[in-house]
Amino acid sequence: MAEPSTAVRSFDKEALPHLDALYRVALRLTSDPARAEDLVQDTMLKAYRSWKQYRPGTNAKGWLLTILRNTFINDYRRRKLEPVAMDLEAVEPHAIYRDVEIDDPEGTFFSKIVDDKVTEAVDALPPDFREVLVLSDIEGLHYAEIAETIGAPVGTVKSRLFRARRLLQAKLYEHAVEMGYIKPRET
Amino acid sequence: MSDPINCVEAEERLHDYLRQELTPEVEQQMRAHIDRCRHCFQHYQFEANFFLMLETRAARQPCPDALRKRILDLLRAEARRG
Repeated sequence: MAEPSTAVRSFDKEALPHLDALYRVALRLTSDPARAEDLVQDTMLKAYRSWKQYRPGTNAKGWLLTILRNTFINDYRRRKLEPVAMDLEAVEPHAIYRDVEIDDPEGTFFSKIVDDKVTEAVDALPPDFREVLVLSDIEGLHYAEIAETIGAPVGTVKSRLFRARRLLQAKLYEHAVEMGYIKPRET
Repeated sequence: MSDPINCVEAEERLHDYLRQELTPEVEQQMRAHIDRCRHCFQHYQFEANFFLMLETRAARQPCPDALRKRILDLLRAEARRG
């Protein structure tokens, strides 16, 4: 059996640097700071207790996020009626670029949107889509790492990302029009 | 030299290009196409600004200090327990 002090040291070195990322993902999954804190705490305890199963030098961030995600699904996800991903995966969301390519083809309106509005729009995405978008476009995981984390094929990750990004862009576009960052399109 | 990818294909691959998920060969083809095509270059900038917004606006929230401390204390207690 490993000396506890050695285990603590390697856990400190490999797992603790990912606390910020774990907290951010927890915030986006739960949409609730108090629940996010509990989720991160539970995740870190579970990770520590199963640290022996982690192979040093491999992808610690992905390993921790998998624990966080499973803990969330098993213990935290609210069992209310949520949009069924199957239905959403059948429709192709509108491409916002077509609406702005005359007035703001470079999408400068994105840079005017404040932090809270960005996270609010992310939180409004259906859970299955939100999860892949957060892991990919906010935390920078590769598609293959996300596939492993959520236990789905890479093709599913890509198709959810495609829809998640379009839905998010549409939401942010609406907000930008409301705020006057961009002119509404002529209809 | 003829362009190995057209605008429709370039558009389909913009996200994967920006997320660096393409093979080196396709990545090179994309770079060449975007350099050449003004329309696709604009669209590329649009999607790049979208990703930049997510990286800079949504990835700023750090783990609160109180939570960090609470977790460290818990882990130390757990370690003492062995």
